[in-house]
Amino acid sequence: MGSYYDVDAILTDAQKVPCTFELTVPGLGYVEGNMSGDMKQGSKVELPLWLGETLALSQSLNTSSMVTLDPPSALAPRVLNALKADPRTVDLRALAPHFYNLGARILELFEEEEMIEVLSETFKARASVIADQAHNPRGALGEGADFMRGLDENERQLFRAAHDSAKGVRNWMADLKKK
Amino acid sequence: MALPLPPGLTPPEIAFLCEMELVTVIPRQRLEGLELLGGPSPPLNPPHRTSLPLWLALLLKRQRRANIIPPPWLSPHSLTAILDHETEHADAFSPPPRLPSPPPNNTLPFSPPFLPSSTAEAAPDALPYHWLELGEMLLEAAADDFEDPDNVRKLLRGLREVRMAKLRKGVGVLDAGGGVRMNGVGGMEVGEGRAFVGGVIDGLRKIAASREQQRKDRDREERENGYSGTVGDDDDDEMDMQ
Repeated sequence: MGSYYDVDAILTDAQKVPCTFELTVPGLGYVEGNMSGDMKQGSKVELPLWLGETLALSQSLNTSSMVTLDPPSALAPRVLNALKADPRTVDLRALAPHFYNLGARILELFEEEEMIEVLSETFKARASVIADQAHNPRGALGEGADFMRGLDENERQLFRAAHDSAKGVRNWMADLKKK
Repeated sequence: MALPLPPGLTPPEIAFLCEMELVTVIPRQRLEGLELLGGPSPPLNPPHRTSLPLWLALLLKRQRRANIIPPPWLSPHSLTAILDHETEHADAFSPPPRLPSPPPNNTLPFSPPFLPSSTAEAAPDALPYHWLELGEMLLEAAADDFEDPDNVRKLLRGLREVRMAKLRKGVGVLDAGGGVRMNGVGGMEVGEGRAFVGGVIDGLRKIAASREQQRKDRDREERENGYSGTVGDDDDDEMDMQ
């Protein structure tokens, strides 16, 4: 998914997910802030997605995997319930700047039919508001300002695309008048 | 993507394509037929109406050598009727002009850009593909050939708003396998809506990518095990996802 140099993909992978260590790792305590100690079995740490994923999937010899992953707080049941109730009032950017990309990555690791449904419905409901805002030149500054601040990176690109094409047509009509 | 432009056509490009449409003019001066790349243009003899490509008609209009007769669907009466139809049917666009009956076997059928959908003989009750561009350009260059240009301009704005709102609302029913009925949508509207609708579909596919992958795996497994359940419908799954 995406190219090697895709900044958004890199930033998505840099988001933290909660991990639980299944083994005691000597000398890894600094990850937790314990400079010289060991990483104890069962301690919970927030690791970047790329690191947590690798550790969770790698299995050395016949031991179990080193850590277990949990879904990040941005995709906790509490958030999904809020999205089910009203997708428009949730500030996705505060939860995770790359909310949908993070969701897609997590869905590659966990099987959650319901999360796919909730995220798709959310995206659709918010997309129609985004389209209205993009076609209304004052929308971004007026009552929609709070909503616009809460857009995640995907939604911002969508807003930009819709806004640019509306602007293109408006400019063309203005150019006609100049001739 | 090395191209600086987004996929699709920009508004000036769509307008350029629209300039190929034939419109009816009443010449004011004689003009010999011109040998154009697209074929010879008919000679102009003053009081007789002639069909010319829009670009040539606009040129002659600016030089005050001809008057343009607006197509019948660009009259306030037809536009009001179409606008009423649009507001009454909230889930469909007003239908495009009917295609003529297919020609006899050994000739090629004509399709929209080459049909005289904007001449004085066009159908008065349907918007052709280039309705918005053609209307705007005629109103700008030949406003004095309309009976009531301000009213026409207002109705065109109204139609544009209603139809764009429908196009935007259409994304609500989109799904991995869903679709929006876009019969009768014009060239400029496609150009304006493309970036947004495409963005929504890409986003939805990204979210549902894991489910799609699962389904593909299951299909492949079934095929390898000898079930011929879904042969031939995986072409659309191979679409490149950005």
